[in-house]
Parts: sequence; structure tokens; C-alpha cells
Amino acid sequence: MSTQLLLALSPVLVVVFGGAALMIVEVLARKPAPAGQPLKDPLVDEGTSSEIALGTAITLLAGAVVALGVWMYGPENLPEAKSLAPYFVIDRFTLFFSFVMCFGGALAALLAGGYLPEHRIDRGEFYPLLTFSLVGAIVLAGAADLLSLFLGLETMSLGVYCLTGFRRGSARSTEAAVKYFLLGSFAAAITVYGGALLYGATGHTDLEGIRAAVKTLASQSSDPAMKSRVAIVIIGMVLLVAGIAFKISAVPFHMWTPDAYEGAPTPATSFMAVSVKAAAFAMLLRVLIGGFGDPASMSWSAGWPPVVAGLAILTMTVANFVAGRQESVKRMLAYSSVAHAGYLLVGVASTVRSSADGQGSVLFYLLTYTFSTAGAFGALVLCGSRGKEAVSYEDLAGIGKRHPAAAAAFSLFLLSLAGVPPTAGFFGKLYIVKASLGAGLNVLSVLLLLNSVVAAYYYLRVLVYMYMKEPAAGAPLAVPMKSGYVTAAVILAAAAVLYVGLWPGSSLEMALRAALS
Amino acid sequence: MSVSTVFLAFAAFLVGAFVPQSKSTKQRVGLGLVAAAAVALIAGLWPDPNDAKTLAKAVDTSGEWRYQLTSLIFVPILGSIAVLFLPRQGLTTMRYFAYGVMGLTFVVSLYMLKTPMTQGWHFVHTKTWIPGLGIRYHVAADGISLWLILLTTFITPIAAFASFGSIKTRVKELCFAFLFLEGTMIGAFVALDLFLFYVFFEAMLVPMYLMIGIWGGAEKIKAAIKFFLYTMFGSMLMLAAIVYLVWTHQKITGEYTFDYLALSRVQLPTAPKFFFNLLNPQAICFWAFSIAFFIKVPMWPVHTWLPDAHVQAPTGGSVILAAVMLKFGTYGYMRFSMGLFPYAAADYAPHVAGIAILGGIVWAALVAWKQDDVKKLIAYSSVAHLGYIMLGLFGATPAGMQGAVLQMVNHGISTGALFLLVGVIYDRKHTRLVKDYGGIAKVMPVYTTLFLIATFASVGVPGTNGFVGEFMVIMGTYGAVDLGNFAGFHAVGAAFGVILAAVYMLSVVQKVFFGKLDPKNRDLTDISPRETLALAPLVVMIFVIGFFPSIFLSRMEPSVRLLQSQYRVVAESQKNRDASPSTPPVTEAMLLPERFFSPAFFAGAPTWPEPEPEAPAAAATAKAASVPAASATAAARPATRGSASAAASTSLAPPSSGSVSASGSAATTASVSASAVASSAPSASARASAQPAASAPRGRPPRPPHPRPAPAPGGGQNP
Repeated sequence: MSTQLLLALSPVLVVVFGGAALMIVEVLARKPAPAGQPLKDPLVDEGTSSEIALGTAITLLAGAVVALGVWMYGPENLPEAKSLAPYFVIDRFTLFFSFVMCFGGALAALLAGGYLPEHRIDRGEFYPLLTFSLVGAIVLAGAADLLSLFLGLETMSLGVYCLTGFRRGSARSTEAAVKYFLLGSFAAAITVYGGALLYGATGHTDLEGIRAAVKTLASQSSDPAMKSRVAIVIIGMVLLVAGIAFKISAVPFHMWTPDAYEGAPTPATSFMAVSVKAAAFAMLLRVLIGGFGDPASMSWSAGWPPVVAGLAILTMTVANFVAGRQESVKRMLAYSSVAHAGYLLVGVASTVRSSADGQGSVLFYLLTYTFSTAGAFGALVLCGSRGKEAVSYEDLAGIGKRHPAAAAAFSLFLLSLAGVPPTAGFFGKLYIVKASLGAGLNVLSVLLLLNSVVAAYYYLRVLVYMYMKEPAAGAPLAVPMKSGYVTAAVILAAAAVLYVGLWPGSSLEMALRAALS
Repeated sequence: MSVSTVFLAFAAFLVGAFVPQSKSTKQRVGLGLVAAAAVALIAGLWPDPNDAKTLAKAVDTSGEWRYQLTSLIFVPILGSIAVLFLPRQGLTTMRYFAYGVMGLTFVVSLYMLKTPMTQGWHFVHTKTWIPGLGIRYHVAADGISLWLILLTTFITPIAAFASFGSIKTRVKELCFAFLFLEGTMIGAFVALDLFLFYVFFEAMLVPMYLMIGIWGGAEKIKAAIKFFLYTMFGSMLMLAAIVYLVWTHQKITGEYTFDYLALSRVQLPTAPKFFFNLLNPQAICFWAFSIAFFIKVPMWPVHTWLPDAHVQAPTGGSVILAAVMLKFGTYGYMRFSMGLFPYAAADYAPHVAGIAILGGIVWAALVAWKQDDVKKLIAYSSVAHLGYIMLGLFGATPAGMQGAVLQMVNHGISTGALFLLVGVIYDRKHTRLVKDYGGIAKVMPVYTTLFLIATFASVGVPGTNGFVGEFMVIMGTYGAVDLGNFAGFHAVGAAFGVILAAVYMLSVVQKVFFGKLDPKNRDLTDISPRETLALAPLVVMIFVIGFFPSIFLSRMEPSVRLLQSQYRVVAESQKNRDASPSTPPVTEAMLLPERFFSPAFFAGAPTWPEPEPEAPAAAATAKAASVPAASATAAARPATRGSASAAASTSLAPPSSGSVSASGSAATTASVSASAVASSAPSASARASAQPAASAPRGRPPRPPHPRPAPAPGGGQNP
């Protein structure tokens, strides 16, 4: 392996080897059960894995930093890395996503370091599962071939299924995992079927080949012999988009999301909402821009744009209105992440006429969304402790008075999600609006903005409970936990939210440069 | 400071210190200082007719401290962050810290009075913020924002002082909210970058939301959420319009900018003229901005958040809300809706003026009359008073707009005083219902006097501030061109509103203070020294503005005139164009010629390097138009440029020039431009046609940095 290739692959390699090493460390560090002691409750796991959490976080942050380093060096200066194409393309797009997903994963690992011991589900497996799932996500972001794309998708998903069911003692967690697994496998099957049809119609599995073939097909579509092949391509495209829509949890493929998000341990939820969603959007952009970027597929009359726009409208509107009716904060955040997928789809739809701007808006929004969502889940973790987890709105009543710092952090992230300046979320939203107005999608952008007013209602509701209500007499109080890891994650995310909100210039420029051509 | 000023201030100190009965020494000294400071302020600001030197050098803004506004914004914001790190137990520390920061801000803002506010921008401070999108930190003040800044820095300490008297819980959050509010409010008054304005406009919602929601009344949560969502709904529409405007500017010139000054030159298409003219981009953007501001004002029918918010908010919150926050609606309409979309604003002015009178002035007055909660009554009276301000802006005459700006300050002072006064009895009895009181003048004589003064100011009795503002607005409305044939009716309706104001305010005064004293209220104590201290500056200002309005009007006049004349020039050039059947409708956005604007207007506007020679035709418009009537230089230009400018100038030209648009000769172009000037500025037409040679040499060299205007023949004065 040449140096160039090593350098190009270094973000993945750091994560892979770091994860493997940590797995070994975890096994060696495990304490044998003391002899002669009574067998403890099998559902209580009291490991010592919180150091592993720190190791994982450092590994993943190292992955993010290395991705940044390769970005600075410039992937175009590494011509040998092209030998892996199309199975794994190392371009700025991949590096940007590696950075975002590693950062999200590191925050999730830090949260887990505090959350798992607190809730007595402390088993070392959590971290390798997370790390290797993240490897799948990076592969997914770099895959420009349907084969490696599927490989990455499954690697990522398998880890996440396990993370969802990580709370063995909880029926809810198990149910969520089963639900997620069944629906996820079904969606994967649909994706594979779509890919198979495309291969049949075009003879290619690499996206570039598919794009070229579709272009030729479209030019010959008047030929009756080609008509059936065009139909197959369209069916394949629809199936592929449906499979991906499941992963990004766009309405009406979102049914699993609230259950899985609610049942999973909160750090895993954060990971799903952040890194997994980012990977799914990377896949969507790769497939739509890379595979179906020809003028015919990108037209409003016969291509994917109306589908994406329709999904966007449905996703934003349904998710926001349903989120407003939730009684559990975690479930509300789950629906809110669905709604944010809708906003992102508006950005995807606007790639049709202003490709770089539209993609840049999606990428930048994912960055801001990563910080705000991971932070919001972190703050939620911080607000509860063993047996007294903060789940419903009532649990948060009066936190603003008793624990002002936790409440202030939570408010910051919620305001960022609601898009109130000067937070990162506001600028992300602004840029999506800018891109979609530039693409002429006036109605979509106005709908997006009106939707964020609806969204503000349920984000503000949390603030209402935290600052303006007192817990009912005799109600169980949520007691904030004390954990350096969780605090560190929240501070990290808060700093990022404020930094990107006040000085978005450089990260925005990066997002724009990362766009696929 | 002259000897006479010191003497006057000393006299006022003696009056303040010795007139009140049965007060302690500390309070006497406090009252005396307030009186002395007020007199010194008036005396110091009195325009000196002999001092022509200050006026002469006033155009030169280089001597101004450029961090003036920045420090006004960020001293309170940084202070609010610092409060968070003070110990929670140290109530006194936190309070005095907040007073200190607010006092410092007030003193710094007073320093601005030393500058005579001439036309254009003062204290300009710009800094690149997000270069990729052309977003800059750009703050500047003119005669309009000057008074609103002073109002903010003046009212906020008073509101905080009153709040600290009655609110004892969660003082830390209260200090944070007040300081953060002050900073963001000042920021929104001085921001000239639309992005920056939007940031401040939204960010100020959060502390106000907390203020209503934490220290509010029984229905506080509903009121707080309603307040937030209403405003956010409006500002989201505005955000879409801002981005649309930025895109349009980018399409024409190839440059991104969020700068208000640069975007003022963008003329959005007014073309599809069906369905009440509502479906053209200019109208849509105008409404997107205006709905945001109308909600904030609030105007009927989007006013329903206001009574809730006012009634539920604590006294200090109500004062800030009424005195300053509502002004963002009127200020925003004046600065942004009228500044960016003059044609649409003029087009809709008669209709919205009708809404302001019927829905605002008359209807809100009738509703106020029926209220049995005093605070709700004052809230509805706010809706009515802001109707006057909006009417003055819709009329768009110099007198009306000056009256409107003055009325913004007046309303802040008199309504702020009324809310403070209601807070006084609410603290004693915990009820605001009219029927729980009656005849309390017998037990609270001083309180009654102060309440009557504030009432008179609110009603507009001559000698108080309300009279000046309302009188000017009604005067201005009567002669308003924009309101068409109905201007007279508008003026009559507005005058009728003054009578209604007297009806509802005086009836509540009668019911609360006079008549038979309820035995339950026999032990009410009169207003305390602390409360008097909070009210004294407001009462003083009521009379200061009432008797010496020229102090205020003289500072704002140049700015208001500039804004008004630019508005008229642009709106009328469009109207003339519309009136002619021969010119095609405007379906493409374009840049307005620089001559429509005064040079002072563009101080601090962004500049860009020279574009490529093969710039789009629209970019050439700016260049061509900046050389009006430049016959000699135009003849020497290449033929291509000549024809481009021919097309460009005819697009804005009056009907008479439509016939010559086919000709590509440079000489014709010049004459077309000349007649365009004439039509757009009727008052200056004689000058423009009589002296074409005089204006010719003033044409700029071929490529000025983008918005560097030529002297505006019609931009200066307009009747």
C-alpha cells in the first residue's frame, strides 16, 4: 500500500484500528466475577467501561481531525486514491461527511460514558458496535457503487440495530430493536431490488456508469425497444429512493423512527439521529446526483425532483404537527429529527437547478443539525439520573430553577433546532432557504419557514416546563446526573453551535466545496 | 456648559429637593438630582442659533467615534452574560451591577446628542462578517434611530428599577433578561444589514418570552407562547423576502449582499397587475416585510397577541414591550418596508391607512372603552396610538412622518408611565379591575396627580407630548398625496380617534379616582418615594416634549426628509411609468439609478471591484444612469454602451420618452435621461432642464464603485 493511499484512507483506518484496539482493551480490562459471591441480577450490567468511552471518543475525534487533515492536504493531490473508485471514492464530499459523522459519533460515545454506568447497562460492547457502525457509515458516504453502498449500509445498520436493543432489561428497547430490524431489513431488501433492476437495465453497478447509461437511454426513449428498459430504470430508481427514504426516515417511511428513538438508550438515539442520518443523506446525494444526475432524471416532469419535493413537504408538515402532540420529550425530539429530514430534503430538491448551492446547503445543515441534535440529546441525558430519567415534559418542570446550567444548555440547543439566531440552526435554515429560493422553489421554502414556526411551538414547550412551571406536588423529580463525560459532550456541542452560528463563514465555505460535481 | 445652565440646574435641584413634603433627605436629594439632570439636559441640547460652526462641519462625520453604536449594543449584552456568573445569593450585587451597566449605556448614548444629526448616516461602523454571502456587521444611526436608541436606554433602567421593586424571585434571570433585551433592541435599531437586523429582531424575542413566562400573571404561558409564535410567523415571512431580495441583487450585479443601502437600489418587478396587484414580486415581498412589522406594531387584525402579553407580563415587561418593542413594527415599516419597496408601499398606502384608522384608531378605542381591566385598557389604547404612528407613515408627508417618529417616543413615555402607574396599584391590591377601585383620589392624591398627567399625555392635551405628535400626524395626513382623494376623510377619522381617546381614558380615570371611596380601599398608601423616583423622569419628559418639541424635531428632520424624499422619488417614477400606456410593464428586476438617492445615503455601503467589461446589461444600467444628462461624455462613449443606456433609461422614463427608445444614438440617450430626471423629481424639473450643462460635468468617471451616487437633483427637497 502506497503512502498516498494510506493517507487517503487514514480517516477510515484510524477509526477501524482504534475500534479494534479498544475492543481488545475492553476484553482485557474486564474484571472477573469475584468467586463465592452470589450471582447478581443478570440484567444489571455494571462494567467499568467508562474509560473505553473516553478512548472511543478520542479515536473518533482523531478520525474527524484526520479527515480534516486530508481535507487540508487536498484529496486531489492523492491521485493513487483513485484506484479504489468507484467502490470507495475519497473526495471532499466523503471527507466532509467523515468529519461530521465522526464528530457525532464522538459526542455519542461521550454521552454513553456517562449514561451507561448511570443506568446500569454498562457493557463494553456498546463502543465497538458504535465504532464499526461508524465505519460502515463512512464507507457509505464514499461509496459510488451500488455494491459497496449496500455493504456500507448493512455494516452501519447492523451495529445500530444492536445499539437500539442495548437495554436488555427493557421490553420497550427490545421491541424497538425488533421493529427497527424488521423494517430496516425490508428497506434494505427494497434497496437491493432497486439496484438489481438498475443493473439489469443498464448493465452497471457503479453510479457513474448508471448515469451514462440512463443518459443514453433517455435520448433513445422514443425507440419502442428501449421503452421497457426506461420503465425498469424508473422502477429501480423509485425503489432505491424508497429504501433511502426509509433510512432518512422521510414520511411516509418514518413509522419506525419514534419507537426506535424512544426505546434505544439515549446515546444510541443521538448516534442514530446524527451520524446515521448524515450517512443516509450522503447516500441519497450520491445516488441522486451521481447516479441520476442526467437532465432527464433531474427534470420536474419525468425525474426525481417532484418525488423529493413531495417527500419534503409531507415530512416537514406531518412530523411537525405530530411532534407538537407528543408528551415525551425524547419522542418529540425523534419527530423533530424527522422534520429536520424534511428541511434537508428541501435542500436536496434545490440541487436540481443550483447543484453546488443546494448540496452545500444540505451539507452545512447536517453540520449544524449534528451539533444541535447531539447537544439536545446530551442535555436530556444530563437532566436525568438512575431511575429518574427525564422522559416527559413534566419531568423537566422546574429544572431551570434547580439546575440552571443544564437548562440553559438545553435551551440553547432547542433554540438552535428552532432556528432562532444567532445559533447554528438559524444559519443552516437560512442557507437552505437561500438555495431553494435560488432554485426557484419559492413555495417549498415558504413552507419550510412556516413549518419552523410550528416547530417553534414544541421546542418552546420544553422551555415553558423548564423555566415557567413547577413540578406538581408529590411528582417524582428528575435529578440531573453528575458526569464529566456528558458535561464535556454538552459543552463541546454548545461551543460548536455558537461558533458556527456566529462565524459560519469558513464551515459554509467547506460545505460548498464539498459538493459533488 | 454655560453659567446659565448651571444656574437653571441648581434652581431645579432646589425645587426638586424642597417642594416634596415629608420625604427623607436621601429621597429629596434623589429627586433634586433628577430635576437638575433634566434641566441640564434640556439646556445643553438647546439648539444655539449663533453656533453656525457646528452646523457647518456637521456633514463631516469623520470626527465621530465609530465604536459608539457597537459599544451601545455590546456593553449590555456582555453585561448580561457577566450577570450569569455572579453569585445567585447576591441580590444587591446583581441589581447594582445591572444599574451600572444600564447607566453606562445611557451615558454613552447621551454622548450621541453632541452630534447634530445631519442627513445620512452617523457613527457608521462596518466589518466583514460572513464574506461568502456578503453579510457585514454594519451599524449606523440617523436622526430617526437616534431618538429610538435614547428612548431604549432611557426606559430600560426605569423599567428595571420598577421591576426590582416588586419582583424578588429569580433576580438573576431578570437582570439577564433586561440587559440582553437592551442590547438586542439597540442593535435592531441601528443594524443596516438585513441579516444583522434579523438576528437582533429575533434574538430579542427570547428574553421577552422569558420575562412574560416566568414573572407573568395567571395565563402567562399562553401569553408568552402566543407572543413568540405570532412574531416568529411574521419574521419567517420576512426572512423569505430578505433572501429573495438578496438573490435578485445577486442576479443583477453578480454580488451577494444583505446590506440595506445596496438593496435599496433593487427595484423588484411590479408586473402582473391583476388580483389587486398582489401577485407581483414587489407586492409579495412588501407584504412579507409588512406583515412581520404589522404584527409587531400591532395593527388590526393581527393585534390579538398584544392584550394577552401586556396583561400577563410583569410591570417592567409591559413597560419595555409598550415603550420600545412595539416601535420595531413602526420603525421597521418606515425603514425597511418603505425604504425597500416604495412603489408597493405607496400603492397600498390608502388601504392600509383605512385599516389603521378603522381597525386601529377607532375600533381599538371602542374596545378599550369597554375594558374593565385597566391594564388591558392601556394595551388597547396602545393599539390605537400606534394607529396614529402608522397613519403618519402611510401618509408619507414630511410633517406626518416627523409626527410619527415623535409619536413613537411619546407613546413610549406616556404608555410606559401608565403601565408603571397601574403596576403601583396592582402591587398594593393585586387587582386591576376598575370596579375594585373608586374614589381613591382621596387617599392617594399624589398618585392621582401623576396618573392624570400621564392620561393627559396619552389623550393628547396641549402642553403634553401627545398633542404635538398627534397634531403633526393629522396635519400630515390631511395633505398626503399617497392617500389620494380620501386624505381628508382619513384626517377626520384620526381626529375622531382623539375624541374617543378622551372618552375611554377619562371615563376610567373618573371611575377609579373619583366618586365614592370604597371602605376597603381606605387604607391604601400613597405612592412611595421609590415609585415616584421611577416615574419622575417620565413625567418630566412628558412636559419637555410637550413644550419644546423642536429639540427633538430639529434632530430628526433632516433624516426624515431624506427618507421621505427618496421614497417619493422612487414611488413616483414608478407611478408615472405605470400611468403611461406606451411603456411595457416591469417584469424584470433592475437597479434604480443612483441619482434617486442622496450621496449621504450611501455612506458605508458595500463596494465591489470593477466588473468584467462584458457585464450584463442590467449592471450597465447603474453606470449609465449615474451620468444623467451627460451629453458631452456620453457622445464619446462606444455605441454599444450608448444603446444599453438607452434601453436602461427608457425603462424608467416617463411617457414622453417612450417614442425615442428605438434610437441608439448617444445624444438621444442623454435627452432621455434628462427627461427621466425631470419626471421623477417634479420640483426640480426646471433646474434639471435649464442647466443640463451644469449637471454634466458632475457625472462620475466611467466606473464608480457600485453604489457611489451622483448628486441627486430631485433627491434633496420635495414638498
